Amino acid sequence: MNSASHYLDQFFFLALPYVAFFTFFFVTIERYRNRKFTYSSLSSQFLENQQHFWGLVPLHYGILVVLAGHIVAFLIPREVLWWNSKPLRLYILEGSALVFAILAAVGLIAAMIRRASVAKIRRVTTPLDWVLLALLLYQILTGIEVAIRYPWGSSWFATSASPYLWSLLRFSPDLSYITPLPGSVKLHIVNAYLLILLFPFTRLVHILVIPNPYLWRKPQVVRWYRPPAGA
Amino acid sequence: MNAVGRRERGVLVAFLGLFLWTGGPVARGQDTAADFRQNCVSCHTIGGGRLTGPDLKGVSGRAERDWLVRFIVNPQAMIDRGDPYALKLLQESRGVVMPQFSGMSAARAQALLDLIAAESELEESQFKGLQITDRPFTTADVQGGRGLFMGVQPLRNGGPACIGCHTAKDLGGLSGGRLGPDLSRVFERLEGRKNLAAWLSAPATATMAPIFKNHPIASEEIVPIVAYLEAQASGGGEDMSAGPLIFLLIGLGGAGLMLVVFDLAWRMRFRTVRKQLVLTSTGRGEE
Repeated sequence: MNSASHYLDQFFFLALPYVAFFTFFFVTIERYRNRKFTYSSLSSQFLENQQHFWGLVPLHYGILVVLAGHIVAFLIPREVLWWNSKPLRLYILEGSALVFAILAAVGLIAAMIRRASVAKIRRVTTPLDWVLLALLLYQILTGIEVAIRYPWGSSWFATSASPYLWSLLRFSPDLSYITPLPGSVKLHIVNAYLLILLFPFTRLVHILVIPNPYLWRKPQVVRWYRPPAGA
Repeated sequence: MNAVGRRERGVLVAFLGLFLWTGGPVARGQDTAADFRQNCVSCHTIGGGRLTGPDLKGVSGRAERDWLVRFIVNPQAMIDRGDPYALKLLQESRGVVMPQFSGMSAARAQALLDLIAAESELEESQFKGLQITDRPFTTADVQGGRGLFMGVQPLRNGGPACIGCHTAKDLGGLSGGRLGPDLSRVFERLEGRKNLAAWLSAPATATMAPIFKNHPIASEEIVPIVAYLEAQASGGGEDMSAGPLIFLLIGLGGAGLMLVVFDLAWRMRFRTVRKQLVLTSTGRGEE
């Protein structure tokens, strides 16, 4: 291994994750304490509600499922390998993950087209929004590329990425698991750290203030109490 | 977006500084025997005969210590320099260049050579290597190996199944993984049972070594895996199945189907839902 790539690996897979996570926690809390009302996705639904659906719904369902899959493989890698020990189950898992990743890509591209093409939405889109959207698009597209070029990611995430991430969490970093991985996999990981780093500065903070009770509470109708006309 | 305050910017700048400051190499101590087992036994034995590389029993008597250290630290550089003994070794190993190991230093090479010298003195070294059977493999061996390859039969020490990263030509379905090479012809590439068995006893690639160092493949599992890979190699060819294309089509088709489901599930989205809710809540509409 030459020393340049060795130092690059140390930088991107050791320094960057710690800086990203520390910034994430520190700035997220600081922003919540000092500017609570900026915790929002800054919805643009009222400005345009036709194209909005094709960005919002596929993106969120897609990204939530794919992200949940990554977290599960990180938390319980041995159980994921057990699930994958039957090839049919492995194919079902990988096929489903690919379906939701493509949905996320479709949704994100639709959202970007809407932001670029609708004048009112363009006005409320900042440069940092575009940076965030570009990083998210890169993340989803490299994820799909990795899934297709280097199957079966659910298995080798459990054996290579998961032990590396746990080693970071235990403050005993072991980069040997991931330094030999292909370039597009490494770029996918580095881009994930960049997203975590940017998280507290962007509208991504809305993830932390999801109104979860909306999922189970009954629909509410707001009705004005006023006498009927002419009474 | 517009919420990036002065304090947040300060924090970001501070951490970018930290970001640039960190990144030095992390030294990790290693036990020499474990180092040899992890990095050397897939190509070398001590007293067990030649594999891809030479038998290292008594290697100190075949070359100067200083030469051996320089070769272990950077074999390619010695070959590039045209060193006659390095070129002879290259020829004997049929052109396979010994890899340069991550973090290899002169001190680590010295420790390995001390270990080899001590093991060479023994009647039977612990690194004599796996002595695999010469008998013809049975159908049961091949089927057992296929089960281990696919993960249907888990590896005893908890190692992952081959299919996660490798494919072979008879797997069917969506075929195997492609992070690592297609193993249909690995039996030919490694030139037979002995080398393949030695390789499996301590997989030495940078990707596999950290995974299998704590979950080695048991010797009684190596025999059926070798049997399966020997059977794969017969008849030649690699995995040319349409598995990857089918996988992509499943993804695209499934995503298309989900978009239709979303459209149907929210089919009322452009009409007013309020009227229906008001009628229901006042008991004048449909439940």
